[in-house]
Amino acid sequence: MSDTHDTNLREGLGERSQSYWQKAWMRFRRHPFARWAGGVLVVLYLLALFADFVAPYPEAQSFRKLQFVRPTKIYFKTEDGRWSRPYVCKVERSRNPRTFKLEFKENCDEKHTIYFFVRGSKYKFLGFLPMDLHLMGGPWLVEEKAYLFLWGTDDFGRDLFSRIWFGARISLTIGILASLVALILGVTLGGISGYYAGSRMHIVRGVFRSPFRRPALPEEGAGEEGWLSGSSLARGLREASRNRQLPGFLLGLIVQYAFWFTAAYVVWITMQGFLSISTGLERYVAATVFALLLAYMAWQVLAGEVAIDVDDLIMRSTEILAAIPGLFLLIILSGMLAQYDLPSSTRFLLVLVILSFVGWGGLARNIRGFVLQLREMEYAQAAKALGAGDGRILFRHIIPGTLGYLIVVVSLAIPGYILAESGLSFLGLGIQEPSSSWGLLLSKAQQGGIVALKSRPWLFLPGFFIFVSILTYNYLGDALRDALDPRAEH
Amino acid sequence: MSAYVLRRFMHLIPTFLGATFLAFLVIQLAPGDFVTRLELDPSYDRAQIENFRRLFGLDQPFTVQYAKWLSGFLKGYLGLSLSYQTDVWHVLKPRILNSMVLVISSIVFIYVVSIPIGIYSALRQYSWGDRFWTTFAFFGLAIPNFFFALLMLYFALWLKDTFGHEIFPIGGMRSLYIDGADFFQAPKWRQWLNVLWHAVLPVIVAGTAGTAGLTRVMRTQMLETKMQDYVRTARAKGLSERVVIYKHILRNAVIPIVASIGFLLPELFGGAGFVEVVMAWPGLTPLILDAIFSIDVYIIMGSIAISVVLLMIGNLLSDLLLAWVDPRIRYS
Repeated sequence: MSDTHDTNLREGLGERSQSYWQKAWMRFRRHPFARWAGGVLVVLYLLALFADFVAPYPEAQSFRKLQFVRPTKIYFKTEDGRWSRPYVCKVERSRNPRTFKLEFKENCDEKHTIYFFVRGSKYKFLGFLPMDLHLMGGPWLVEEKAYLFLWGTDDFGRDLFSRIWFGARISLTIGILASLVALILGVTLGGISGYYAGSRMHIVRGVFRSPFRRPALPEEGAGEEGWLSGSSLARGLREASRNRQLPGFLLGLIVQYAFWFTAAYVVWITMQGFLSISTGLERYVAATVFALLLAYMAWQVLAGEVAIDVDDLIMRSTEILAAIPGLFLLIILSGMLAQYDLPSSTRFLLVLVILSFVGWGGLARNIRGFVLQLREMEYAQAAKALGAGDGRILFRHIIPGTLGYLIVVVSLAIPGYILAESGLSFLGLGIQEPSSSWGLLLSKAQQGGIVALKSRPWLFLPGFFIFVSILTYNYLGDALRDALDPRAEH
Repeated sequence: MSAYVLRRFMHLIPTFLGATFLAFLVIQLAPGDFVTRLELDPSYDRAQIENFRRLFGLDQPFTVQYAKWLSGFLKGYLGLSLSYQTDVWHVLKPRILNSMVLVISSIVFIYVVSIPIGIYSALRQYSWGDRFWTTFAFFGLAIPNFFFALLMLYFALWLKDTFGHEIFPIGGMRSLYIDGADFFQAPKWRQWLNVLWHAVLPVIVAGTAGTAGLTRVMRTQMLETKMQDYVRTARAKGLSERVVIYKHILRNAVIPIVASIGFLLPELFGGAGFVEVVMAWPGLTPLILDAIFSIDVYIIMGSIAISVVLLMIGNLLSDLLLAWVDPRIRYS
């Protein structure tokens, strides 16, 4: 009673009570750069979305004769110094008669005025709306009387300005998608790992009673001492039928035996192959090791019982992933798969899968830590007491408790994935021609040797965009961390 | 303590097996194998190619290849490089040494630069200096190092054009000639000096992200330690500010940083990554890239296995160091 009175009193004094999210939003807005960073990102994403409209040329249109043309100059004044509408001159290729080097010269006999919101090449907006409206251009652009290369061209004579916005689609979305996939993997596996930590799962049940097994406890009842009825398999069967989980149990059993027989077969094949190509001491040692391994497997299937912790299994997998240096794993995985000839959409998915496969482990470990704590909380226990299933408790009661953390992790993971994708594409292992991504576009700067770099500085622009997007995401993530961390009292 | 170390070591064995097997599995994803490339070469006939396959063991199931590799690794033999036709270790060793020059110098660079900056930033929180270094840290963390390396090359080219001679070299690890004589005939110290001169720009590139990160960590650590009760006590009992900062704050703030030195071990070996590729430094990363494209299995496996071992030992060392520096932690 006094409690409600107290709140009313405070509200009367003009102090509104705020929820966690309201407070977080306040703290977020207080961050000096967060709003700037958010604004820049929104602009970049809009430009990527409207790339067809913003870009004067389609993504793959190339002018074979106009390689590495410097950015087209835009004139605002005519030769006699009067202001005019912005116009460009035609770029023409010629060969220097003395040095035989290719040169590009402007021919200003005809002035080509830049118009805005004009009709140009056809495209499908959002993939299905047929349109031909472009931000800038003119009839001369479509008829190729002159060219509008705002940021120059690349090695195939493609407009860099257009390709940067098409590339932004891949570079900016792959980060979000990869971190979402990694998040789903990490939350599911980390959640399972944390929730079932401590409970054991049988991976093999022997058919016969183990001779080393101590005699059955008195309460287990009679008739369970036989070679078959005393086995791990029979005990499991009885337990499952008592709990009415027989179909699941049988299915698990089939999977178990299939796994063990496959494993034994693989070991057998390996042993044969290995012994056929080895000699001397190595042969004898290997024979012993393989024989022991096979004997162990046979023993387990016949009379053993192995139960492992799911938590152990998942955490071991993340350890194995973490044991290989990230960059190595990334370049080896994508290097091997880059050698296939794949359509660009498949390659995009492939890069996505690779990035999230390499990245889910750390997330899963952290989620597991949270779940271990949260599953002991009263509300989780209450849900259990009310008869909620494991899945419901995990995903409706426990995982939402980690939401603030998840948001921060995702926002800090996205720039990492953007960096990884552009790095892979830069090395030629990620996105490949004719698609574009910022890393791939930047790799053109290396072409033609280092000295050529000096004369083509516009090829650095994609790198600048990678830098800006990572920087803004970092600022955003930093602000979110400050905002969502309940300990943060600034 | 020794029981703990032993247990950790036992724990490392399945991880090592899993990681190397995973790597081997990944290599199998490639289309064809090393010999596939030779099939396109008309100078080899079918029988020769089959002979190669048998010679390299490529006709065996891949589990056999893995077992054979593992047995070699346990004997200290990393296998045969298919494209160089020599021992993998002979190929890896010079590359690792080259990488180490770069990595050791950038680690020194990182620590020497970032710890003083971190201390300064924390002691003068929200001053203009602090703001400058915070911005620097954000920029340093955001710039992709392959882009930064390209910018540095551009910078070196610009310097050369402006001053007429090379202030900094444009890529590479050593000059062909020193004072007109061949590089290898010059005195040793001149050779080292030449290599270090080549390393300046790559080290800046490789070290920037690390410097930025460590600056932030150092600053946060200092700020957190500054708020501790024992610091207030130290001030209250009349210690000079100098003693408070260096003996009470700093010594406690660097504990996690000292402990993280163990993580540097795999880095020492793993090379500087993209920088080596862009700046033509003959380190490990370009070698691995070449090996990937020619599917030179054992070069890849050798470098992965060594780095996995070093990574695991590095983690172990870090934990032990932490226990050694921080008396609150005991492994028993």
